[in-house]
Amino acid sequence: MRKILALCVLLSLTLMGSAWAQTRSLTGKVTDGTGTPLPGVSIIVKGTTQGATTDADGIYKLSVDANARVGFSAIGFVSQEVAIGNRSTLDVTLQDDSRQLEEVIVTGLATSVKRSNAANAVTSIGAAQLTGVTKPQTVDGALNGKVPGVQITANSGAPGGGFSVKLRGISSVTQASEPLYIIDGVYIDNSQFNTGAGTTSFNKAANQTAGTQDQATNRIADINPEDIENIEVLKGPSAAAIYGTRANAGVIIITTKRGKTGRTTVNFGQDIGYAEVNKYADLASSPWTLDKINNGVFLVDNATMLSLYNAAGGDKAPRYNYEKEIYGQKGLLRNTKLNISGGTDKLRFYVNGSVLSEDGVQKYTGFKRNSLRANIDAKLSDRIDLSVGSNFVNSSSSRSFSGNDNNGVSLGYNLAYLPPWLEQHQNADGTYPANPITGQNLFQVVDKMRNTETTNRFIQSASLKFALIRQTNHQLNLSLQGGVDYLNSQAQAYAPRDMQYFVGAGLGYFGAVRNTTNQALNTNVQAFLVDNLTIKNFNFTTSLGAVRLTNSGVQSYIEGRGLKPGDVKNPNTADTRVTDTYLVEAPGGRAVADVGFVGQEELNWKDRVIATAGVRFDKSSLNGNPQKFYTFPKASLAVNVANFDFWTIKNTVSAFKLRTAYGQTGRSAGFGNTFSSLSNLVIDGKSGVAVPTVLGNAATEPEIASEIEAGVDVGFLNNRVTLEATYYNKQVKNFLYNYQLAPSVGASTITAFPVGDLKNQGLELSLTAQVVKSTGLNWTSTINYWLNRTVVTRLSVPNFTVPSSGFGGFGTNQILGPSNGTYFSPTAWYGTPYVNGQPTAYGNFQPKFNLSTYNTVTFKNFTFSFLLHWSYKNYNSTLNQELMDEGGTSPDWLNKDNLYQAERAKAGLADASTFNGVARIYGSTGVTTKQYIQDASYVKLREVSLYYTVPKAAFSKVFGNVVQNIKVGVSGNNVFVFSKYVGYDPEASQFGNRPIGAGVDLLSFPQSRRMFFHLNLTF
Amino acid sequence: MKRTLIHTLLVGAALSPVLLACSVTQTDQLIDPNNLSVTSFINNPTKDQVGLLAIGLQAAMRNGYQDMVQSAGAIGREVIYSASTDNRYFTEILGTAADAFGGATDPNGIFNGYYLSFSSTRRRAESLITATQSAAALSTAEKSASKGFARTVQGWAMLNLLNMQYANGIRTGYSDLSSPGDQLKPMKFVTDYNAGLDLVIATLNDGATALDAGGTAFPFTFASGWTGFTTPTTMKQVNRAFAARAYMYKKDWANMNTAVSQSFLNPTGSLAIGPKFDFANAQNDLTNGLFQNPDGNGAPLVLFEDVITSAEPGDLRIANKTRKRTTARSSGSIVSNYELKLYSANSSPIDIIRNEELVLMSAEAKAQTGDLAGATAAVNIIRKSAGLAAYSGAATKDALITEILKQRRYSLLFEGHRWFDARRYGLLGTLPNSTTPYKVFESMVRPNAETQWELANPLQ
Repeated sequence: MRKILALCVLLSLTLMGSAWAQTRSLTGKVTDGTGTPLPGVSIIVKGTTQGATTDADGIYKLSVDANARVGFSAIGFVSQEVAIGNRSTLDVTLQDDSRQLEEVIVTGLATSVKRSNAANAVTSIGAAQLTGVTKPQTVDGALNGKVPGVQITANSGAPGGGFSVKLRGISSVTQASEPLYIIDGVYIDNSQFNTGAGTTSFNKAANQTAGTQDQATNRIADINPEDIENIEVLKGPSAAAIYGTRANAGVIIITTKRGKTGRTTVNFGQDIGYAEVNKYADLASSPWTLDKINNGVFLVDNATMLSLYNAAGGDKAPRYNYEKEIYGQKGLLRNTKLNISGGTDKLRFYVNGSVLSEDGVQKYTGFKRNSLRANIDAKLSDRIDLSVGSNFVNSSSSRSFSGNDNNGVSLGYNLAYLPPWLEQHQNADGTYPANPITGQNLFQVVDKMRNTETTNRFIQSASLKFALIRQTNHQLNLSLQGGVDYLNSQAQAYAPRDMQYFVGAGLGYFGAVRNTTNQALNTNVQAFLVDNLTIKNFNFTTSLGAVRLTNSGVQSYIEGRGLKPGDVKNPNTADTRVTDTYLVEAPGGRAVADVGFVGQEELNWKDRVIATAGVRFDKSSLNGNPQKFYTFPKASLAVNVANFDFWTIKNTVSAFKLRTAYGQTGRSAGFGNTFSSLSNLVIDGKSGVAVPTVLGNAATEPEIASEIEAGVDVGFLNNRVTLEATYYNKQVKNFLYNYQLAPSVGASTITAFPVGDLKNQGLELSLTAQVVKSTGLNWTSTINYWLNRTVVTRLSVPNFTVPSSGFGGFGTNQILGPSNGTYFSPTAWYGTPYVNGQPTAYGNFQPKFNLSTYNTVTFKNFTFSFLLHWSYKNYNSTLNQELMDEGGTSPDWLNKDNLYQAERAKAGLADASTFNGVARIYGSTGVTTKQYIQDASYVKLREVSLYYTVPKAAFSKVFGNVVQNIKVGVSGNNVFVFSKYVGYDPEASQFGNRPIGAGVDLLSFPQSRRMFFHLNLTF
Repeated sequence: MKRTLIHTLLVGAALSPVLLACSVTQTDQLIDPNNLSVTSFINNPTKDQVGLLAIGLQAAMRNGYQDMVQSAGAIGREVIYSASTDNRYFTEILGTAADAFGGATDPNGIFNGYYLSFSSTRRRAESLITATQSAAALSTAEKSASKGFARTVQGWAMLNLLNMQYANGIRTGYSDLSSPGDQLKPMKFVTDYNAGLDLVIATLNDGATALDAGGTAFPFTFASGWTGFTTPTTMKQVNRAFAARAYMYKKDWANMNTAVSQSFLNPTGSLAIGPKFDFANAQNDLTNGLFQNPDGNGAPLVLFEDVITSAEPGDLRIANKTRKRTTARSSGSIVSNYELKLYSANSSPIDIIRNEELVLMSAEAKAQTGDLAGATAAVNIIRKSAGLAAYSGAATKDALITEILKQRRYSLLFEGHRWFDARRYGLLGTLPNSTTPYKVFESMVRPNAETQWELANPLQ
């Protein structure tokens, strides 16, 4: 409290002391090296917030003080700073900069630094790379393969995304552990809400009423990637320390597009394309012979299988490719956008409306997103800037049922267990043939069941910037910023009463519908004072500020059980209902709040030595003691060796920077983790309560991650070739997790308990080169290489198996404390054989390394780009092969590859050599977990495109000057995947966004290849 | 005008943090907005609160039963849970993966649910005792009655856990781990199975004593499944029925005989009499998960066919408890044409213990203590009820024991007895599918979390 008062006093005093100055006008034209006018160049009067942007013809106009210095910068060009003296016109030529070294990156909540002066390896992805090649559905999907140090995994291929994003390994284990997303200053909710699809009445992936395996979309899917100008990825605490307790899993800062001064531009884009499965599991290729029917280990006995086979017509029975019938739809993809942007020096605007509609590869699945964004920047006076951004989104997904299952509903299971000769097509009378094997006809699931979610969301940002002092060598700015993210999501899971699985499930009712409503409100406000002082060759930037973040919401559902005939999906018509409501709020209905105070000092000596030190103090309602402040320091140093006078080889080695950074971040427990409350139980219509089996930790404190990062950035030949190399060591102290008690005490766990320490070490290399640079032809190539290793360095609780990290003998993750100096990885797989009670270790979910390359070739009016991504030696715990073997559908089922022959012979089994489909199923002699931990390495052509810009001469006769630009192109997303993985795409994760326990696959919804034709018109 | 606006904005901006400072920097201490707090119920609860805790215990007591009978039923070769989407339910539990797990099932696997469930029932019973003993609203007799009921439930849960864990044993109790009263630190394990049984018996006996001093009424109500057993006197009959079980496993036939005679045994009454678990398809309630529709293919409970083929012709229990399937079901290599039909709906109650078992226990106690005529008479009550002729086998102890085990097999089918019966008479090797690649386990594996606790916190 005393701190905020001091801040206010300081603020008021500085306001009174501010002075006004005289101005005059400056105009000019900015061109590139070839003389082409450059639109959108940002021009700033140094030491002020005054600025302008060039229009479509490269012309700018602004008011400046006498003797001011003016900076010109544009992404992809080397910035320039010019002292204007008494000139009133100034033309400038900007040079290409392939590595974008002059681009600005964030170092504090209100400050930024030139990339060439940064001490951290902050990856920055511009619009061209994000959505310029092809059109990924979601923002997280659009980042995949583009950021060194990041492991992104699609949880399934169901429309609407669902991605797990891990920055520099694992820093938080308890919760979803997704990075913090900030869009134009608004802290964005990226929850994966329960939809009920995985609950008892539906596929029963989790045998409980709260859905933990619903495989829902995570809500970053609501953000339209095409609104994004730039994404910065603060991968670790050394870069993200200033975000305190929200930043343990890293921060992804998204800046949306804004209007530019000059001519009003109207841009219309239409994408049209199709989606199809990029890799089939190939379930129909293995022949069905009597050998298989008589020897397989099926769910029905062999005699029954034989009689089913004979009844179907035996050899003469038609063979259907059910996999292609279910997943073979060519989903239509449509994406239309219309944006209008422009402005004067007083007011700039950007308005973008877009309608995206994508059908999935399965009938009745798809993803839709309607988004309207309006960004307005107003100069209220020459000292006050106002920026607001409004975004309304209506998005919906329909994802059907796939993945884990205990009711026989999920299509992956159904397909794997379905012989191609068993007739399952809908009967003429509209009914569906029963499935004597799994108890559920798969076409009935596709046609009649629904798993949908519709979200309406409003995101609003606003900032006010005051220039309090504007002297040449001293500036003081006050910036106030606020944001709101409100979302309301309605999900529905529906199974009509005649679904066949209700017979086998024995639930006692037929038909169920669950309507779920999730509401969340996140707000943020911050106030910052930034002081910039230049004394001789030293520049000091001092910032002081305060931040408040809040979160509140409610999640509730009503499920009707026992539906009447017909298609009414209102639970009111059901025989009985179950409901639940879960509030996220503080006493009195107030929001759950975090409060932070920040101070930071940056020192720059002639762009040669740049040092930063800062600290953040955070407190949060989520901590056991909500009044206690936790301290998160940071410090960094960058030395631009090439800027010193002794550097005489600047012609060859144009940049050479050594950098190191240290910082801490934290993470508080999740809401509810401090409570130990009574369970509500009912018997015979009577209400009761019982002490809980899961206890809260009332004294929980944030887990703290500390990271040291060191690196070197080198530029050759005027930065035509650049290399960025970074090593980091990130240690997480007292990471929070469930403390697993001895279950004999009758309580299983204490949540949010400090269980131990983790260490992540990694390497990130990024090499960019303008391989060919000539008048007609340009080829730019980036190669990224990265790896991360995670180990547990201390464990204060007993070793434990990560709950729901897999399926027992099919592989689990273990948290094991160090033993005799050996450290163990939490993402490694463990399983049988057990030796002396200890499970055997297998491969790791984290790849040995990632390698990706992004290339752009321009030849005359053509632009060709592609992104290739190689993930090497990442392992999944997969039941794909198992399910296919149990169903008789694995392609090599009938092969006799002498699997486990030695073990079978040793056990005295007469059939030492048998069919693969029998020899390797779970429980067969010699089979261990090794069978199920499969190499999920892949090489993916993630993105590829070819665009053609129609020469203006070709259409100017028809359209005159109305149409400025016409661009057409074709592109593809996830075009090819090369992998030996059994099943669909190796990117799959049953348990969703979990740092540990990801990579469990049970024939998840297949991933799709998305191919587009693009048309883009600029008016 | 413009200047005024700007000045207003500037001054407002300067002042706003001051004005808002109080609420802007506030971070509240959270309390659970969704559930009741434990403390108010455990420390001096009102009579209403005691009532809620008692109903909670009755409801929680159901947890673990289904897991137990499913595992014990599979190991006892009665019934297989033939899950179409998870073959561990018929591979691991029948022992085909035992080599991989060092001779057991997966210590992290899917069969451990009963362990926490029975342990939490034990804990919840203890918390009812803690709460009622501190309740000023209760009389001394009411406190004693409450304790008697809690100990009875506790003994039942401990016996189930012990039978599943067998030689691995159960914990003698628990103490405080990190804060006073948290009761989260386990005490040592009992030394062997018999010591475990002694602990169960002592718990039940403590309950019986408390019920004796419990006056005429409990200070709380019961679910209707307990009808007939809702006074301290009648609850003691249930307590003695559980004690008879424990003495039976301990082969303490004399005490078993006494306990069964103090129970609600009624040789001439309905065999169905006894306390029951209620189920309903309602909010926060449980359904009877053992109910199944005919010929289901999702995860049916199918029978080992030996159950059918070993039955005497005309045994009504086969017709009453099993059903022939229209399609055979294969669980691994085990084929079955029959499935279980113990329950007619998912709201059907499940017997906790009933007269039929008491009659069989009295028969066994008599046979073991030399009263062969008494044993035969008791067996014939059961045979008659099953539509079978009177016992005509040899009137020897061994022959009668074999007969009693057979009657237990059919009278108590899939109620969690067959495996334990075969074990206590050394008959595990005679069960179907007991040789390679199968294995009949002697006990369920100790869960990994328990083992790891022992390794990290060794006790003397």
